[in-house]
Amino acid sequence: MNVLLVMIPLSLLLLVGAAAAFFWAVDHDQFDDMDTPALLPLDENS
Amino acid sequence: MRTPAAEPTAEIWERPQLARHVVRDLGGGRRESMLLLEGVRCASCVMAIERALSAEPGVVGVQVNAASRRGRIAWNAAETSLPRLLEVLSGIGYRALPLDAAALDDVRRHESKAAQKRLLVAGFGAMQAMMYAAVLWFGGDGSLDPAGRDLFRWIAFLVATPVVFYSARPFFAGALRSLKARRPGMDVPVAIAVAGIYAASLIEALRGGTHVYFESVSMFVFFLLIGRYVEMRARHRAGDLTDALARLTPPFADRRLADGGLERVGIRELAPGDRVHVADGGVIPADGVLVNEQCLVDEALLSGESAPAPRRRGERLVAGSVLVAGPAELEVEAVGDDTVLAGIAELVGRAQAARPRLAQAGERAASRFVVRVLALALLTAAGWVFVDPSRAFTAALAVLVVSCPCAFALAVPVAVTRALAVLARRGVLVVKPDAIEALAGATHAVLDKTGTLTEAELVLERVQARRGFAPADAVRLAAALARESRHPAARAIAAACTRCVDGASGVAALAGLGVRGIVGGRELRLGRADFALGLDGPAADDEDAVLLADDDGVIAAFHLSERLRPDAAAAVDALRGQGVEVSIASGDSAGKVRAVAARLGIREWRARQLPADKLARLTVLREQGARVIAVGDGVNDAPVLGGADIAVALAEGAELTQATSDVVLSGGRLTNLPRARLVALRTLDILKQNQRWALVYNFAAVPLAALGFVPPWLAALGMSFSSLVVVLNAMRIGRDAERGQSPAPVVTELAPRVRAA
Repeated sequence: MNVLLVMIPLSLLLLVGAAAAFFWAVDHDQFDDMDTPALLPLDENS
Repeated sequence: MRTPAAEPTAEIWERPQLARHVVRDLGGGRRESMLLLEGVRCASCVMAIERALSAEPGVVGVQVNAASRRGRIAWNAAETSLPRLLEVLSGIGYRALPLDAAALDDVRRHESKAAQKRLLVAGFGAMQAMMYAAVLWFGGDGSLDPAGRDLFRWIAFLVATPVVFYSARPFFAGALRSLKARRPGMDVPVAIAVAGIYAASLIEALRGGTHVYFESVSMFVFFLLIGRYVEMRARHRAGDLTDALARLTPPFADRRLADGGLERVGIRELAPGDRVHVADGGVIPADGVLVNEQCLVDEALLSGESAPAPRRRGERLVAGSVLVAGPAELEVEAVGDDTVLAGIAELVGRAQAARPRLAQAGERAASRFVVRVLALALLTAAGWVFVDPSRAFTAALAVLVVSCPCAFALAVPVAVTRALAVLARRGVLVVKPDAIEALAGATHAVLDKTGTLTEAELVLERVQARRGFAPADAVRLAAALARESRHPAARAIAAACTRCVDGASGVAALAGLGVRGIVGGRELRLGRADFALGLDGPAADDEDAVLLADDDGVIAAFHLSERLRPDAAAAVDALRGQGVEVSIASGDSAGKVRAVAARLGIREWRARQLPADKLARLTVLREQGARVIAVGDGVNDAPVLGGADIAVALAEGAELTQATSDVVLSGGRLTNLPRARLVALRTLDILKQNQRWALVYNFAAVPLAALGFVPPWLAALGMSFSSLVVVLNAMRIGRDAERGQSPAPVVTELAPRVRAA
């Protein structure tokens, strides 16, 4: 059971890391426009 | 506006350059402005705002719509001012921005980002807390020692804390705000429940008690946030059209300098009379007249027609249309809020800000409901204290959590907002939201003929000159009079002689009859036979011709030809298929109306109807219990349209904004009317389903919770689920009808491209 004392803090750390990455992505407009980027490769002008 | 730090103070709206864009003069010292309100979540916020503003001296009208978060205020400039009103709003806890497309976009992006972050934190928190809770539940058989149990409890506390203090903050803020305004809203029971569960669990953990509910509180917040997030997305999407329209105009324009060079200026700096150069593929920045030979423009946003239209020298170009083949040089006629585009955006905005009667009733119901639920929770707790005090708290919490006023409060705004957006995307602009209810309940449709069932443009087919006049002279005389009228027949005659220069004096146009005036020293009358000849009764002879006559008799008869709209038959059939009685009331001659009626298979028609006759006919129909749709071009027959239950105008291009009606079919597509009616029927259906659902759900869930059968986490699930059902159900409006039709959200598709440019 002692391994839990390592694994739980580690999982919490990973959690914080994931949340930080998501916050970064939101702040950098990664989720602002979910439709246009998929169409951009088809547009000859861009 | 980009950064919150540089937020302007209220006074900035006094500056004339800014006020010009956000304040509209209603005349008589009255001003009007459209505000975007942050933090409006529910019915009671709307009431708080309306109450606070109405109490302010000088405010003459307030309309707030929770679904679109827009508020329209009208005030008396002598008694109060926009900055003062904004201060009042911030005093009760709402930040308001006078609406302007750029500001709207920013508020939205900010709101959507914050919601995404809160949702993620709540999701992670709920997941983790659930995991640790599972250990506690299954370890409850003794395999977990007290030290291990406490460890897991404190870890659960650790993950639930950010959920409560970060993710759930909007609920606390909303509750505080609505309490401050003495109008408890839906946020109050939610905030009490969240704070209650969290505090009780913390106390239990400290005491080493039997149960902690950290996973319940996280799940509760997570599901509520999902509901809010979906609702926010729906709200944003509903507002998309207005914003897309507002964003369609580019921020810059190339102005031609006196020396022939170009200078790049902001679009707000343009003034009528400026000359602007637009390159190939560019967007027309302002309404104006084409100066160079010709160009090809895509006016999809106005006509819904995606085929590019050619424009020649002297013809009008409207702001927001895309130049397909150019370049174009135009002389600016109207800028900013005076453009056709701004007019359309304003129309759509006006509909979104006005609250339909349906919504008002729904909001009152939701507000009463909240108060009852709070009382019921207290009663539950009191009851359990006698039976089993240890369960009093859990049961009271469950009642608070499981009851879902959201379903009541959301049912109407979500459905109506969605319907408006769906209709707008199909070229049906709803000006008065009550129109949806009226459209669905209509039993009769009275259609005008000229310009409605037939094309607006008539063509002069044949001229029969009498008394030795040359046909060309007759046309010349008639055109002088015809130029003074906007009737389609007059326009056709005027168009037949564009180079005529004769002026007419003392001109009087009589609606439904014709034009009278003095040309070349002679009094002439142009119009219906009885009018032109000065007779009292209808003349039998020449009945479907427009006559030009003087006091001595007929000078010439003009035979005009007209074409049925290509979709008129389909529209009439579709309306009849829906059980709507279709009839024609036209000011035109019996022969022509009969012909059109026969071709469309319409049995009931009336010819030679003056506006007053049509109005009387509508009154009779309505007295017999019919609910009448009147369809016309919205300009010539405005008074008639006003007499119907619901007025529908068929308008194209520049005329869109002048139309006085409840519904505008843009692009002149008549088949949009039966389609719009289907959407309206569907909206009412869904609305009823939603209200019934909310009622059934609450009646089933609340007693169970009060009896203690529902643990808090299940209550959280139930409530969120119930809200989601309402929102997702509303999203079905317009979906089934869209199948098999070409999708035409031209405006929304264009928007991102323009923004990127």
